[in-house]
Amino acid sequence: MNPPLLSISQTAQLLGVSLQTLRRWDESGKLKPIRSTATSYRYYRQSDIDSFLQSFPKNIFRMGYTWAVSATPYEPPAIFFCPTQVVFQARLQTLFTLLTKLNSKNVDIPLLIAIIGEIGNNAFDHNLGNWPDISGLFFAYDLKKREVIIADRGQGVFTTLKRVKPSLTNDVQAVRVAFTEVISGRAPEARGNGLKFVRNVIAHNAMQLLFLSGNARLQSMGHSADLTINETKGTFHGCLAKINF
Amino acid sequence: MRIFLKKFGNILTSRQAGKEALAAFEPNLRALTADESIEIDFDGVGSLTPSWADEFLIPIFQRYPERVKFLPTDNSSVKETFALLEDIHKIRLS
Repeated sequence: MNPPLLSISQTAQLLGVSLQTLRRWDESGKLKPIRSTATSYRYYRQSDIDSFLQSFPKNIFRMGYTWAVSATPYEPPAIFFCPTQVVFQARLQTLFTLLTKLNSKNVDIPLLIAIIGEIGNNAFDHNLGNWPDISGLFFAYDLKKREVIIADRGQGVFTTLKRVKPSLTNDVQAVRVAFTEVISGRAPEARGNGLKFVRNVIAHNAMQLLFLSGNARLQSMGHSADLTINETKGTFHGCLAKINF
Repeated sequence: MRIFLKKFGNILTSRQAGKEALAAFEPNLRALTADESIEIDFDGVGSLTPSWADEFLIPIFQRYPERVKFLPTDNSSVKETFALLEDIHKIRLS
């Protein structure tokens, strides 16, 4: 059986680009659709989209953000999708191996992998059995731009943290607590201090973090314990992290 | 007894993996003699997180506080993980 084809709208959503961009890429040959005649609808093979993503530079932040905030849930491109923690672990191991082989200067590889691991695993741990729609992570990296994107369509920090800290009233408060307060005795198990670890690592290293959850936006620049947390206009129910290293 | 953490994997990051590692290692812990020490060896570990350590290292340390010795390592993720866990659990690991 042939794998299903994606419409031009589905492909545009998946890649985080406009329909016009896809038509332009068709004309230039950058990403060719399947068309039965020159004027019929454009359809795309998943395998062509994956090959395209591997061959051309892409804006992984825009793709991750578009996926995380989309009102209509959909699965991200297969090469960036970790439906389970096992897949995430395997891809994190691949990134570790790549960085080690590249021997990138000024990158503390153990710490970078550790904070990506904490953010990604946090999403699985806190949403187990409670994913609102798509379960799993968008996980992508661009080694040229030295950028990593981890996004999920889970419940977000406020919803999960409010269960153990009922006094919380909004996303900004929840994100601040998640990154700054040690919370002990979290029922049913002790967990939830991973983001404090992330903050400590960023504070002592040349890394930067942008973290979004609900309508909260946190920014942390390297070599500083300062956190800038403010409210954004838009909101979504999951989390998105961008790490620059 | 020396526990070589690299035998559990190169990157030790998730709580789930830490829990599974402890469950798999329990028979070895039960075979400990009364005064045997436990040396934790980080050689060959690529990356460690507080989540994994909280499920594997902390329970062992809390069960045998006088007998666990963490061998020296230059791995930055181990050092940063210890700093956070010492703060959370109000213990001294190294």
